[in-house]
Amino acid sequence: MTVSAMPSPTPAPPARPSLDAPPDPALAVETRALWKSYRNPWTMRVTRGIEDLDLGVRRGEVVGYLGPNGAGKTTTIKILTGLHKATRGRAWLLGGRVEEPRSRRQLGFLPEQPYFYDYLSGIEYLELAGRLSGLGAHEAGGRAKQWLGRVGLGQDPRRILRKYSKGMLQRLGLAAALVHEPELLILDEPMSGLDPFGRRDVRELILEQRERGTTVMFSSHILPDVEMLCDRVAIVLKGRLERMATVGELMRGSGQRIEFRCAGRSLAALPTELAAVLTRNERPDETVFTLADATRQQEALAWLVSQHVEVLAVTPQRASLEQLFMATAEGRGTGDPERDARSA
Amino acid sequence: MNAVWLIARNTYREATRDRVLLGMTIAGVVAMLGTQILQPLALGQGDRLTVDLGLTIISMLGLLAVLMVGTSLVAKEIERRTIFNLLSRPLPRPLYLVGKWAGLSAALWTVSGLLGLALCALLTVKGLGARTPAVLEAVYLAGLELSVVTAIAVMCSALSTPVLSALYTLGFYCVGQWSGDLRQFATGAPGALGTLLRVIADLVPNLPVFNMRTLAAGGFTTAPLHLGLASGYAVLYIGCVLALAAAAFESRDFK
Amino acid sequence: MTLTVHQGRVLRMWALALTFGALAVSTAHVMWVTLPHPQPLEELSYYPSGRHLEPATLGHPETAADLAWLRAVQYYGAHRMSDNQFAAMEHVFEVLTSLAPGFVPAYEFGAFALAQEGRDFPAAERLMLRGLEANPASGVLAFQLGFLYYVRPGGRDLAHAAEYFEQAARQSDGPPQSLHFAAFARQNAGDLHVAYELWAEVARHSGNRYLREIADKEMGRIREALETGREELAVRRLTVPRVQMR
Repeated sequence: MTVSAMPSPTPAPPARPSLDAPPDPALAVETRALWKSYRNPWTMRVTRGIEDLDLGVRRGEVVGYLGPNGAGKTTTIKILTGLHKATRGRAWLLGGRVEEPRSRRQLGFLPEQPYFYDYLSGIEYLELAGRLSGLGAHEAGGRAKQWLGRVGLGQDPRRILRKYSKGMLQRLGLAAALVHEPELLILDEPMSGLDPFGRRDVRELILEQRERGTTVMFSSHILPDVEMLCDRVAIVLKGRLERMATVGELMRGSGQRIEFRCAGRSLAALPTELAAVLTRNERPDETVFTLADATRQQEALAWLVSQHVEVLAVTPQRASLEQLFMATAEGRGTGDPERDARSA
Repeated sequence: MNAVWLIARNTYREATRDRVLLGMTIAGVVAMLGTQILQPLALGQGDRLTVDLGLTIISMLGLLAVLMVGTSLVAKEIERRTIFNLLSRPLPRPLYLVGKWAGLSAALWTVSGLLGLALCALLTVKGLGARTPAVLEAVYLAGLELSVVTAIAVMCSALSTPVLSALYTLGFYCVGQWSGDLRQFATGAPGALGTLLRVIADLVPNLPVFNMRTLAAGGFTTAPLHLGLASGYAVLYIGCVLALAAAAFESRDFK
Repeated sequence: MTLTVHQGRVLRMWALALTFGALAVSTAHVMWVTLPHPQPLEELSYYPSGRHLEPATLGHPETAADLAWLRAVQYYGAHRMSDNQFAAMEHVFEVLTSLAPGFVPAYEFGAFALAQEGRDFPAAERLMLRGLEANPASGVLAFQLGFLYYVRPGGRDLAHAAEYFEQAARQSDGPPQSLHFAAFARQNAGDLHVAYELWAEVARHSGNRYLREIADKEMGRIREALETGREELAVRRLTVPRVQMR
């Protein structure tokens, strides 16, 4: 399937506020001109992690943070969560500068492939997590029990973490991110290591948090989940924010294709005038013609009728987020039928 | 400070749930009892032997614990990325380091205290209860020494790998034991060499001040001034080392 | 120049470290001045013997000996500049040389310090003899022992001096002057026949023309003394060595 890259150019962004201007109170996460670069102490070579990143996540929304490996997603997340120091620029969490530890009081963070103290039990770890986030001893104990049960680990709260499976650890990590009921959740690959049931539970948790008014920002490689959950999607490439828009805005103008399902096998040669936009896919009992340009639907249909092809169904196909993302990342539409088949 | 308490408690739990310290405590008690086998060979110096070897066992096992556990305290958390779960919370990095130090120090004090009590019990059984105050003072100073070395181990662990941390810590320990000699050499050495020796003697921990094993072997207590100055010095040196560690740790990015 | 939040935090930590550090250094200085601390060598003097100390060095007696040597030198210097009392010196050198029996300079330094500043010739002699026992092929030690006997305060021991000068002359690392020192010592000890042979060796083998001339001259004197029966023609009356401490 051919998917065009970035559709129509976005309108000019509003003027960028200065670095010293106060943060926008409507935003849960805000970065301004954020840079992160690394200097090799031996070669003195500078590698850029993120460049001039202006990111804004509104309070209460769910944002998917996408990008290929090495794009700068984890770097951004680590700066926001205090694990990295930005080289330049500013970043705020819920109005607090990320350099201040108290800005993370209402933050729940799940790192990618979380590791825990394997000598602690599940309940002990959640109590520690809750207390470090400001809960009192009694409250932390109660919440720990509650969240352990909520993520499906409540049947053996005293089990040592050394004996947890990867999926159990992932769920515990989520519970640790939520135990203090934060206003902001940042999740790095929250579906990682989970089976379909686990993923479903995580999706439900995220939706639950959205209902609660929690702001959620998560990165994921499972794009159907992003498409399903997110209000907006931010795509970062080579350290720069390429695009940030709703899923609908991203899909709009990305090009629709039309699929013609036809009975039996058709040996008709594709007409020259449609060869560039029409492809054929032979299946055992049917033939599927895919038209990349929806505006030429009538023309294609007329040709099929003229070839005495029995058309069983005409179905518009919208590009998926995954296809859009891959096209964006590659910087071009693919035009390769085999590739289209894989991505369809 | 609540954060320091939480980290310290967690570290204490980690250290005490680890078999290493338990094994060392048991080994220490067994070794102390084993020194009694040497009594007939000591030609009347068995009492001195008991105290000497007992106090040395406490110091050496403590040092071993610092090298085995302390030097990987922070480095292991960074390697395994368990530190992500802590520093992404409203926990200032300096307090994290202080908590780590406090937790391990508390664990080592526990071990030293238990072994010290075991030694006192042994002396009492042998009718040497009068030496108990001297032994307790020596154990107290040994605990201070371990706390100082632990601070160095935490600093090295925050900046380097476990293996290198152990080497650096051991290096500081050895040179620290010679700080008295360095000061002595500095008084007689000419010009720049004397100054350099003096600076080194000031920078490394002054560990001989925590050593009253010789006095304790003879059953002699030390002056309150000694205990007070040693305690004050330990607090100040630990504060300096942890502050340096915090300064360097602040700039660290965690991959 | 405004600092970032991070820079400010780092600076504060450095300031704290420097403050604590300065106070710690001051406390250390106060402790050094106020509290008794072991003088160099005191700790070594606790050990009954170097032989018993060796197991504690865990395979590094040489290093322990080096550290003991440093302390010994400091001890000597400190007491040489103050009270000239070296009560612990013999014991410490016994410990030191037990740890490192091949440490020749330790015997040399220790023996002369004991003999002169320590005014304890028997201790010096014992140390050197121990050194020779451990290093029988050492020409340097033999020569130094010979010299020690030669300058023995209160009365030179020329017979022993000659014996050890001769021993030194037989060793490959013996100083070149060993032979004529032996000849000189024998001659003045009254052992003229042996002295003559020794001078003959010097005359035959010395590469120094001046020494050969001296050897010839001394041989002439010995011949005359033997022929006339007047020993005083060949035997000199040497001064009695004394130790003068400045």
